[in-house]
Amino acid sequence: MNGPLPIEVRGLRKVFRQATSGQAVVAIDRLDLTIAPKEVIAIVGQTGCGKSTFFDLMIGLEAPTEGSIHIGDKSPYSDFDYFRGKMATVFQQDRLLPWRSALDNAKLPLELIGLPEAEQRERALTWLNKLGLGGFTNAYPHELSGGMRQRVAIARAFSVQPEILLADEAFGHLDEVTAAELRETFLALARECGSTAILITHQLEEAIVVGDRIAVFGKSAKLLADIHVAQWPKERYSELREAIQATLQSQKADVRLG
Amino acid sequence: MSISTEEHAKSVPSLSFPRQTFVSLLVFAIVWEVLSHLAPYLGIPPFAIPSLLRIARSITTITPIDIVVTLARVVAALIASFVIGLALAMAMYRSEALNNYLHPMIRILMAVPVVSWILFAVLWFPGVEFRIGFVLVVVCGPVFLVDTLDAMHNVPRDLRSMMRSFRPTALQFFIKLMLPAIVPTIFTSWKVNISLAIRVVTIAELVGAVTGIGHQLSVAQELFSVSDVFAWTIVLVALLFLLEALVARVEARLLRWRT
Repeated sequence: MNGPLPIEVRGLRKVFRQATSGQAVVAIDRLDLTIAPKEVIAIVGQTGCGKSTFFDLMIGLEAPTEGSIHIGDKSPYSDFDYFRGKMATVFQQDRLLPWRSALDNAKLPLELIGLPEAEQRERALTWLNKLGLGGFTNAYPHELSGGMRQRVAIARAFSVQPEILLADEAFGHLDEVTAAELRETFLALARECGSTAILITHQLEEAIVVGDRIAVFGKSAKLLADIHVAQWPKERYSELREAIQATLQSQKADVRLG
Repeated sequence: MSISTEEHAKSVPSLSFPRQTFVSLLVFAIVWEVLSHLAPYLGIPPFAIPSLLRIARSITTITPIDIVVTLARVVAALIASFVIGLALAMAMYRSEALNNYLHPMIRILMAVPVVSWILFAVLWFPGVEFRIGFVLVVVCGPVFLVDTLDAMHNVPRDLRSMMRSFRPTALQFFIKLMLPAIVPTIFTSWKVNISLAIRVVTIAELVGAVTGIGHQLSVAQELFSVSDVFAWTIVLVALLFLLEALVARVEARLLRWRT
């Protein structure tokens, strides 16, 4: 791939069968979504609307029941190995390996793609420095604060300079000041890297600040609204927030969203 | 997975000799010595409770070759048990079908008494070394297997999905995530198995072996020499502590991230 390719989601459906009752649960029901290269898209929705399932399908950890996800002409599930080093993730919890230092955690994806040791180290250090962790490279996760650990997780994701970056509630568990700071850094680095970024969040403020676009998911990942944030001047952000809120409550696109 | 420094310090056997340990050992030695002198007046045969001096004399007659032989048997069998246990655990983790077939068998193996294994070994195999090795592996192997498999299943789902999201090969997944994650359990398993192996090897050597501590204990029993039994028992306990301390040293080094 030369730079990020468009992401095409067509008729995506994911059905889970409950282990105890055997009952079918439709997590995603025929979702269509196109994400342009280098776009930063925020996906918002209430708990249980299928955001996290969509995240797992995007990463390729789950197979769609029906429909498809294509990045260029490849599927993240069927062509799983093809996306090694091209796709990276940041989760709600940092998910750092406790036996590895900050530097070794940041190096992990680079080890998996088999870069030479010196290059792994250099690239991991560069990203840790960019995230303000230059003085903590040898610290183990338990020696770092929650915000610092999440920075390491972000450095780990960026270290491969991914074409597609996925973040699942990545700032949701941090205090507002730290979260705002990290959001800003994350966005700047995503732009610098030229990655397509998909952010799953339940925080409307975060979606508005970070996203070029906001996809509002209803139950079973029904696309209730597809908002291009640039079309909304900053002084109308509070109106936008209210409109998204109303959409989520009524499960119908609010008239203000067009 | 996390463990506090205090807990970790407690889990590492110390090579230092706390005052309380010294006092309790001293009290035991005094009581033993007094009993050894009072034995004839209490109607106990004098050989049953030998004096400390006599035990010390027995210690000086200990043959190092028997210690080396027993140690070699224990270490070789533990390494073989660990390799087999780990390999089977990895295979069972990867294949649910294999796990379903093997798990009941392993539970049955673990329920068989050591004495039965020794009798089976005597009846099945002519070679003494093979008999001892077989008994040790069949007793210690399943412990390594079950502990390792449990540890693999207990690796947090979050870490597994994080790792998979970066698309490792199957080998990378094991080397970068599973193995480091189960190292603490592996060490615990080693400590349990060292103690088990020391006890089992002694019983296995009692039957048919012409070398080793178990054999020497058998000879001491035939000679009614309690002092020799005592001396060899002290050697066994010391050997156990030494091996445990060695494992604890390696553990402290490899798991220094926990402190």
